[in-house]
Amino acid sequence: MKSIQARLSLGLVAVLVVVGVVLAQLTLWLFEAGLQRYLENGLRNESETLLVALVRGPSGLQLDERRISAAYQRPFSGHYFRIDFDQGTWRSRSLWDMNMPKPSAPGLSDRHELGPEGQELLTLRADYRRLGQDISISVAQDYSPVREGFRRLQQIGLGMGLVALALVLVLQRITVTRSLRPLERARQQIAQLQQGQRSQLDDEVPSELAPLVGQINHLLNHTEDSLRRSRNALGNLGHALKTPLAVLLSLASSDRLHGVPGFSGQMREQLEQIQQRLARELNRARLAGDALPGAQFDCDAELPGLLGTLGMIHGEGLRLESDVPAGLLLPWDREDSLELLGNLLDNACKWADSEVRLGIASTAVGYQLWVDDDGPGIPESRRQQVLERGSRLDEQVDGHGLGLGIVRDICDAWGGTLSLAQSPLGGLRVTLNLPRKGA
Amino acid sequence: MRLLLVEDNVPLADELTATLQRQGYAVDWLADGRDAAYQGQCEPYDLIILDLGLPGLPGLDVLAQWRAAGLATPVLILTARGSWAERIEGLKAGADDYLSKPFHPEELQLRIQALLRRARGLANQPTLEAAGLHLDERRQCVSREGVDIQLTAAEFRLLRYFMLHPQQILSKTHLAEHLYDGETERDSNVLEVHVNHLRRKLGRSVIETRRGQGYLYAGSAA
Repeated sequence: MKSIQARLSLGLVAVLVVVGVVLAQLTLWLFEAGLQRYLENGLRNESETLLVALVRGPSGLQLDERRISAAYQRPFSGHYFRIDFDQGTWRSRSLWDMNMPKPSAPGLSDRHELGPEGQELLTLRADYRRLGQDISISVAQDYSPVREGFRRLQQIGLGMGLVALALVLVLQRITVTRSLRPLERARQQIAQLQQGQRSQLDDEVPSELAPLVGQINHLLNHTEDSLRRSRNALGNLGHALKTPLAVLLSLASSDRLHGVPGFSGQMREQLEQIQQRLARELNRARLAGDALPGAQFDCDAELPGLLGTLGMIHGEGLRLESDVPAGLLLPWDREDSLELLGNLLDNACKWADSEVRLGIASTAVGYQLWVDDDGPGIPESRRQQVLERGSRLDEQVDGHGLGLGIVRDICDAWGGTLSLAQSPLGGLRVTLNLPRKGA
Repeated sequence: MRLLLVEDNVPLADELTATLQRQGYAVDWLADGRDAAYQGQCEPYDLIILDLGLPGLPGLDVLAQWRAAGLATPVLILTARGSWAERIEGLKAGADDYLSKPFHPEELQLRIQALLRRARGLANQPTLEAAGLHLDERRQCVSREGVDIQLTAAEFRLLRYFMLHPQQILSKTHLAEHLYDGETERDSNVLEVHVNHLRRKLGRSVIETRRGQGYLYAGSAA
């Protein structure tokens, strides 16, 4: 998966390089064109000076040496001319032994490579008619220094361009990182959501992110709402079914049925089966499981209430203790967690002599929960049987049966494992290993 | 013992009322939460059985009103909503016990007995024991030094109330209020007759008469 940062950098570099090169080249070209126009004017002046220097001498045309620039006398000075007329061709002394070809057409022509020291010439040919003759004067100037200057300018421009590009990239990285910070924050918040450390995303986000965050929050609310609605509906269903069941159970054990032996017992048995099935299935249907990413169970806030409730139900004689690190948050739905712990502890309380201990610890891969009691325990040979009985509805009995069945359902929904062992207190230890969410 | 049953399901309420009356409790039945909130406070009940899903006013609100008004009567919540989260809520609101529907009638009976004894600060034993007498609430008979003595329903009710309030002077009005439901006409002569029956079966000293004040349970040890 590509990061937005890398994409933005790549795009920016491409755009900057293309635009920079085109712009630089265009600027150079325009500058060179302007310079050549300026040089053309100079050359035209030179050619006119040469034309004026042409005088009628005793043997036809003659060039007045005094009127022409000294640069035409010094060899390879960089300034050259050639004059073509009917009787012949004159070349400037500065050309020395080189031949300067006559440009094919009047006007400016550049890039005429010339031998001496690799000079590059800018040549202007102008045609005149003077003293009754057609005269073509070509004036040339060494263009190499200008070209050299342009090349240096190009190099400096390239270097500066590269530095600017690097600078832009650094600045862009900083800007992008800064403007992507809300995204990064949203990413962290989603991670926290997964771990149950928050239940909503912060909605103080830039307008681009607002719909996304809003939608996620809406979905979270929606899930929570529908869970609450379905739990409510299940509660109502349970209420609607359980109250008549209570009436039937009461009727089945009433004295009025004493005249019909066997009938009462059978009826109660069937009713109990319905009751257990109902309790188990309703409980299973109520489980939130993984539906709520933002769910959390605050041990500090909930455990005292739960332990108090258990203490009240099972009487004062029972010592209920918990070994839970302060501030521990479990990433599961509150009701599921209470149901799990409640059933586990209730089970232990039913069998314990005088003491029940609950432990929760965070491990490298998740969480470990264990409940100890000092009751009779279960012999090792029968533990597997008890666990299996919890998973088979028709064989459930109250006590270690049904309670553990619900615990198993919750444990399965959370992807954990359940095991039974000998407790250090002497009774049974039920241990749950639960994986961290989203891991 | 006079109980208030707040339950909106009529068949269940009928069944429970009958069962509880067989067990020697005087039962008043209400179906509406608002009535319950009022009557629970103005009648001297020994125990209240409260359903949570009530018309008029939810059971938990009724309970919260009672507790806010300082009513200390033990309350047993009876509900189809049996999840632990709801149980904790109920007990936080001030309930003393929680029984989820459906339940065995014996379970309810045991819970009621346990709650009544706990409210009196007595140990939760199979039989009620006070000053030499053992009252078996299941069989509704009393035993003294290993000898069972049969009781009528009215005698059982009266003796149980005495044994739950030992060393306490109980006036006739108080006894009548706690032994009969709201619809029974209270005749103090009937009470005297039952007290005399008990004295005939268990000995004269078992219940002392404090003139102008009422009766005092002394048991067979005195």
